[in-house]
Amino acid sequence: MSSFASEPALGASGLSSAPRRGRGSSMRTWRWSDRLIWLAAWTAGLLLCAVAAAIVLYMGYRGVQYLRPSLLFSHPQPSGNQAGSGGFLDPLLGTALLTFIGILLAAPLAICSALWIVEYGHGGRTRQALTRIVESSIEIVAGTPDILIAVFGVAIFQLHFLRFASEGSEGGGVTGRSFLAAGAMMSLIALPPLFVATRDGLQAVPTHMREAAFALGKTRIATIRRVLLPSVRPNIATGVTLGISRIIADTAIVLVLLGDELRLSPHPGGLPVLNVLRGAGSSLTSYVYDNSPAGEGGAPQKAYAAAVVLLLFVLLLNLAVEWIARHQARSSGSVAAGGFV
Amino acid sequence: MHRIRRIAASLAAVTLIGSAVPAIASATSVITISGATASYPLVQLLAHKYVKLLHNKVSFRISQGGAQIGINDVAAGRVTIGDVSRDPLPTDPPGLVFYPIAKYAICVVTNKSNHLANLTEAQVQAIFTGKDREWSQIPGASASGPIDIISRTSTAGVLTNFKSLFLANKSVSKLAAEEPSEGLLEQQVENTPGAIGFLSNYRADSGSVNPVGYNGIGCTLANASSGQYSGVARFYEVTKGKATGAAAKFISWIDSSQVAHKIVASQWIPV
Amino acid sequence: MQRLRKPWSDHRAELLLGAVSLSTGLVVLFMIAFVAARAWPTFAHNGLGWLGPGGSLKVQVENMLATSTKPPASAYHVRAWPIVYGTLLITALAVLLALPLAVLSAVFIVELAPTALRRTMIRVVRLLASVPSVIWGLLGILVLVPFVGNHLVTASERTSLQNTVQLTGAGLAIAVVLLTLMITPIMVALTCDALATVPPAWREGAAALGVNRVRAIRAVTLRAVRPAIVAATVLATARALGEAIMISMVSGSVFFSPRPGDGVAFLFEPVRTLASTIVDFREGLGGAPALNSTLYAFALLLLFSVFVLSLAGYLVKLPLRKYQVRG
Repeated sequence: MSSFASEPALGASGLSSAPRRGRGSSMRTWRWSDRLIWLAAWTAGLLLCAVAAAIVLYMGYRGVQYLRPSLLFSHPQPSGNQAGSGGFLDPLLGTALLTFIGILLAAPLAICSALWIVEYGHGGRTRQALTRIVESSIEIVAGTPDILIAVFGVAIFQLHFLRFASEGSEGGGVTGRSFLAAGAMMSLIALPPLFVATRDGLQAVPTHMREAAFALGKTRIATIRRVLLPSVRPNIATGVTLGISRIIADTAIVLVLLGDELRLSPHPGGLPVLNVLRGAGSSLTSYVYDNSPAGEGGAPQKAYAAAVVLLLFVLLLNLAVEWIARHQARSSGSVAAGGFV
Repeated sequence: MHRIRRIAASLAAVTLIGSAVPAIASATSVITISGATASYPLVQLLAHKYVKLLHNKVSFRISQGGAQIGINDVAAGRVTIGDVSRDPLPTDPPGLVFYPIAKYAICVVTNKSNHLANLTEAQVQAIFTGKDREWSQIPGASASGPIDIISRTSTAGVLTNFKSLFLANKSVSKLAAEEPSEGLLEQQVENTPGAIGFLSNYRADSGSVNPVGYNGIGCTLANASSGQYSGVARFYEVTKGKATGAAAKFISWIDSSQVAHKIVASQWIPV
Repeated sequence: MQRLRKPWSDHRAELLLGAVSLSTGLVVLFMIAFVAARAWPTFAHNGLGWLGPGGSLKVQVENMLATSTKPPASAYHVRAWPIVYGTLLITALAVLLALPLAVLSAVFIVELAPTALRRTMIRVVRLLASVPSVIWGLLGILVLVPFVGNHLVTASERTSLQNTVQLTGAGLAIAVVLLTLMITPIMVALTCDALATVPPAWREGAAALGVNRVRAIRAVTLRAVRPAIVAATVLATARALGEAIMISMVSGSVFFSPRPGDGVAFLFEPVRTLASTIVDFREGLGGAPALNSTLYAFALLLLFSVFVLSLAGYLVKLPLRKYQVRG
């Protein structure tokens, strides 16, 4: 039950390649069942490639057809008929805001948990039990479907004492739907990848670095601040990138906890930043959902355009993760890097 | 380091106080609305215009879910105004006040490839109750195969009106697909050659589906305004008790303002 | 001149970090507590019978929606078997399809592919794993549903079912295919990681014994990564159970239990799952009490299933530990 809290990094501590076929062997000597499996494996692999290519090419085609830069910078028109005009600037801003809140809340939680488990987690039985509890909790959160996290979010944020986080209505009910509510739940989504990346990074730091710091008289917390955290910065960066890509891809939490107000509509009055956080809006994903035949907008062209932008962001984030991993492998030879080859 | 600590403490205090202020300040300048999907385009246009006229001193939160959700939400105090696309029913919770804001027509619609021009009352009832299951039984239809009935979920006000105006209160066949919104119903009819459904005139006349005449009268805004078309119903804004405060001002603006009247008359029928 | 401040003691730091860490545990506890508390009325009125069949779920939900603040006890009556069955059906089919696809792909990537292709394959798998579910749903509803509805569903199938359910293309088959494609990359990634840690000595040993490559994979490598495959299956099943958005977009919005007896038409029949029903009726969360508690009951069932799955995965892996290459 140990490693499936992570976004699979497709990386391991180095792969040695399978032995190459010797000069004398050929497939003609194999049994039929073996040949069939060989064929099936190739088919499976190529099938996945074909699916990925189909998605990328088709979305690219639709993007060229429907995506114009003006869409990224103009506000959505409030009429029900989105097919007419207007862009999706507000949904883009909504996604950015959610990502910011989510990472802001998740990062301290993840980093502190990873630090505690790796640095302070060894010792007596209670210490180990507590470590086990923390790790299991994060795994449970990682395995919880996003619709469940959304439902939990509604249950929490519709409580009366949390009405500062969203808006109240005349009869005393609390909507429970706002950027703050959605962002808080998004932090749960981003928590597991960040935690695992930081923990793996900390575990990979060789003990002699810690011992050298102790020998110089530094306390454990000072070592963490001055030595360990700086050296796991790339891992934290990877974790944050993975967390961001999970947040921007999430739809269920947005639909349930943010609603689908086309434009960013802050709560009137109050502090300038807080009223935006308490207000309503939409995100890129809810915009795609709403404009698809599953929602109200009835504008598949806008849905495609927004979906292409979303996919581009996801691809860029994937590339960023790869780049960080390669950069890390190049600079610090002893620390394990992502990617097999 | 002390300075940082002090700054952090004061920032925290300011944020705490600042977050308490909005909680103390009244929330009545936010008007929350939920309810019918059919009146959503209209209410959204009206709200957008109203916000501009009032220079952003009021803001709206409009969600959907169907007329029944609007009724439930406003009765429970979850929202300020409920959008309702049907007339009041005896089963509605007591104490609700219905303010009519517009009239709309309900059109039977088929897929564009199905050039059905007209249906009589008897035919509509036979189709939607599931008595006639094949397009071959309907003269004038160019579709073939079984009839795909697309209806709405039970929260829809349009469905309630459709049943009372067209089906003499008989139920829609339980074979029908139930879409939670007008947009979804429109999409289903648009994509399924053998489909038939019912939409408010705003969507039916959008060009993506084929609006079918009823008892010889075409389902157009002109026919509905003149009273010739019989499938006409009302949109209401519903409040718990008489409307007060910002909600009352909004509803009376819809009633009295020329600008609002123009918005309503653009695609719907003024009351 | 900087004042020399006494540095934080380790003890204080440890307590602070520990408190922050344990708050995740608190979050999980709260999650279970709140969802269970909100779901309680449905259990109180129905017992566990709400999972079973009986009556029309559509009518039951309609009753709930029609009631407002103080619903009578009869409003809570629900028998959610159609969506429980739908969830089990879709998840089982998707995992059954994804398992061989994922294992074969992983074997392909790690063992059989030439190096250049391997690098591309890793990127492909990463890409597929990170495609948001709303985009899968969009492609499904705009491309696959019209295709299936207009070209694959035959008129005779429609006619034969015309008095039971309408076939529009949105249904079981598309949901299962897309769900398979969504969960396969996760399984591939985990299996690849595990395959990569099989010691080369084992492969070399097999080669030295004259076993051909595929045979070596079958007999040695795959056996060694069985725990990882189990872990991957558990993770994929949990993901499949919780998929709400894509399924809500492509599986047809009808409460219907697909009937295998209908032959090919079975694949085209509409279906709903627990998660997709929560999404479809999300406006009811915090709304009419009867519907609210029913939706939370669905959520509680999902939560419970995910826990049971994780536990089952852990238990299945225990006896396999002795073959384990990687922990």
